[in-house]
Amino acid sequence: MMAQATRSRSKLFWDVASYALLLLLAFICIAPIVWTFLTSIKFEADIVTREMHYIPPRVTFENYVRLWNQSSYPVLVLNSLVVTSVTVLICLFTGTIASYAFSRFQFRGRTELMLGYLVVRMFPAVLMIIPLFIVMRQVGLLDSTIGLAIAYTSFLLPLFVWMLKGFFDAAPKELESAARIDGTTRLGAMFRIVIPIARNGLLATCVFVAIAAWNEFLFALMLTTSQGSRTWPVGLQLMVGEFQLPWGMLAAGGMISILPVVVLFAIVQRAMVAGITAGAVKG
Amino acid sequence: MSTLTLRGVRKSFGLLEVLHNVDLELEDGGFLVLLGPSGCGKSTLLSIIAGLEPASGGDVLIGERVVNDVHPKDRNIAMVFQSYALYPTMTVERNMGFGLEMRGVPTAERDGKVLDAARLLQVEHLLARKPGQLSGGQRQRVAMGRAIVRDPELFLFDEPLSNLDAKLRVEMRTEIKRLHDRLGTTVVYVTHDQVEAMTLGTRVAVMREGVIQQLADPQTIYDRPANMFVAGFIGSPAMNFISGVLEAGPGGPAFVYEAGRLRLSLPEPAMPRGVAMGRPVILGTRPEHLTLGSGSAARLSGTIDVVEPTGPDTMVVAMIGGQPVTARLPPRVALRPGEPVELAVDTSALNFFDPESGERL
Ligand SMILES: Nc1ncnc2c1ncn2[C@@H]1O[C@H](COP(=O)(O)OP(=O)(O)OP(=O)(O)O)[C@@H](O)[C@H]1O
Ligand SMILES: [Mg+2]
Repeated sequence: MMAQATRSRSKLFWDVASYALLLLLAFICIAPIVWTFLTSIKFEADIVTREMHYIPPRVTFENYVRLWNQSSYPVLVLNSLVVTSVTVLICLFTGTIASYAFSRFQFRGRTELMLGYLVVRMFPAVLMIIPLFIVMRQVGLLDSTIGLAIAYTSFLLPLFVWMLKGFFDAAPKELESAARIDGTTRLGAMFRIVIPIARNGLLATCVFVAIAAWNEFLFALMLTTSQGSRTWPVGLQLMVGEFQLPWGMLAAGGMISILPVVVLFAIVQRAMVAGITAGAVKG
Repeated sequence: MSTLTLRGVRKSFGLLEVLHNVDLELEDGGFLVLLGPSGCGKSTLLSIIAGLEPASGGDVLIGERVVNDVHPKDRNIAMVFQSYALYPTMTVERNMGFGLEMRGVPTAERDGKVLDAARLLQVEHLLARKPGQLSGGQRQRVAMGRAIVRDPELFLFDEPLSNLDAKLRVEMRTEIKRLHDRLGTTVVYVTHDQVEAMTLGTRVAVMREGVIQQLADPQTIYDRPANMFVAGFIGSPAMNFISGVLEAGPGGPAFVYEAGRLRLSLPEPAMPRGVAMGRPVILGTRPEHLTLGSGSAARLSGTIDVVEPTGPDTMVVAMIGGQPVTARLPPRVALRPGEPVELAVDTSALNFFDPESGERL
């Protein structure tokens, strides 16, 4: 009786403690976003004030309107969309087949190649960026959305292949054997059996790559020079000089930029969690 | 006509040779059981027959056709896997019809065949479900249904019952036998369960480390095992082995054991043919060929070690010549550990093996 009471009391303590910690973490994550949002709907005059206004005294969407109509922001977002989509598409088409091969076939140089993919990820981006810049200039892909997408692919494809390989590995090989006896080719077995099983994993992997490409700054800064191919993180940064320090517009830009990510997460969240936690596929 | 012929099939994974020169032939409508301990190469052999793995050497013939380079889908076979390998994203109906779908069979015909097979296996009420919503036994039935629907020339089963609980396993075993009797399709069936092998097979191939030890009908394998490995692998409790020497004594030939202190008189017909007297041998006798009794001339003497009643029988382990010997005796025998015991031997069912090679004499 006593022991039980003590145990339930200590359980209560741990529950409270873990909730407190989770709430703290959630606050740390959400507070900057809330602050940015609040800033974005303030008048310029209410942002930099002598006294701190947490809650905006007056609400306006002027920042959003001005950002959209008077700056190049729509072009930046569009460029980001193009770069992100192209990156994901290249990864999807080449990476899916590559990681299937890594997962299923034993061939000469397999381990070395896999390791090579990993090593690419370990170099600091700064090291890669100068050679990449020179190569891009030579082949005339500098300052183009496609060039940027290819640059992103160079370091996101390994991530894609490694992640997806895990999901493919989890799909039992016997399923493919069964499919091949049932009359599919190897490739047919992959498309009809394995990919539907790894669908959530594939989705999760794509989302990771998409978010990484969407938010990327350093490569975009180095490899694009003109309005025509610049992406939003660079554009946002450049605004700082152009309009002195337009806090409201910067905040509005930030809000607009995270919107696609938030929407994407909201749509695929369930499938992604299922994909990530799907250690084993029940047959 | 034979449905399946293997000629000198070999398989290596790198330096590891897992199948050495496998030869076998299976007649039309036969039921071949590949039996052997874990890792002996049963699944590998089945994969080679199915065409999922290429052999490193030798020929595989299905019917009259050499199929070494034929794609699995063109071999006219169907396979049931240990894990069932049902496609988790498809309904039971689509799972069962997938092979026909891939072969371009019209939908109406496909549905008819799937329904027939589902009826035969009593799974028609499950057709709309996904494999994840089925019990183990139901998955097993669906997996068999998927094989049946295709009406192949050859069925391959890889330990189909090993994931089921004991009771269900016995039920499904009977069901498989009934299906085979009814469909008459040739079957190759992999298992490491000797009871499955005995009950289902028309032919049993006992394998060990990639070599077929004996290929025969189940009764022959049981009565006249080719070597000590087969003798010990088949039968539960296992065959008893007693090492000793054959001698021509004054009262006729005898098997002398326990350093020559005890002898088992043998009538002439029980003697292995062409074996020299004075030769060390291992005598093999099955537990059911031992009975209580001191009347018989051929008997083994020892001390009772353990008494294990199982219901229909009582298993008595006696120490004879320093080796444990199990006898299957009637229930309610009044024996106690430590007592001396005399076990009469049925000399018509004795086996002799060479102590060196383990081969039958
Ligand atoms: N792809 C492979 N690469 C290397 N070795 C393998 C491979 N597949 C099987 N083996 C080896 O071949 C041997 C036979 O394996 P196999 O799966 O045929 O055994 P099995 O008789 O089916 O055993 P079990 O009863 O456990 O299923 C084992 O030693 C195994 O380690
Ligand atoms: Mg196996």
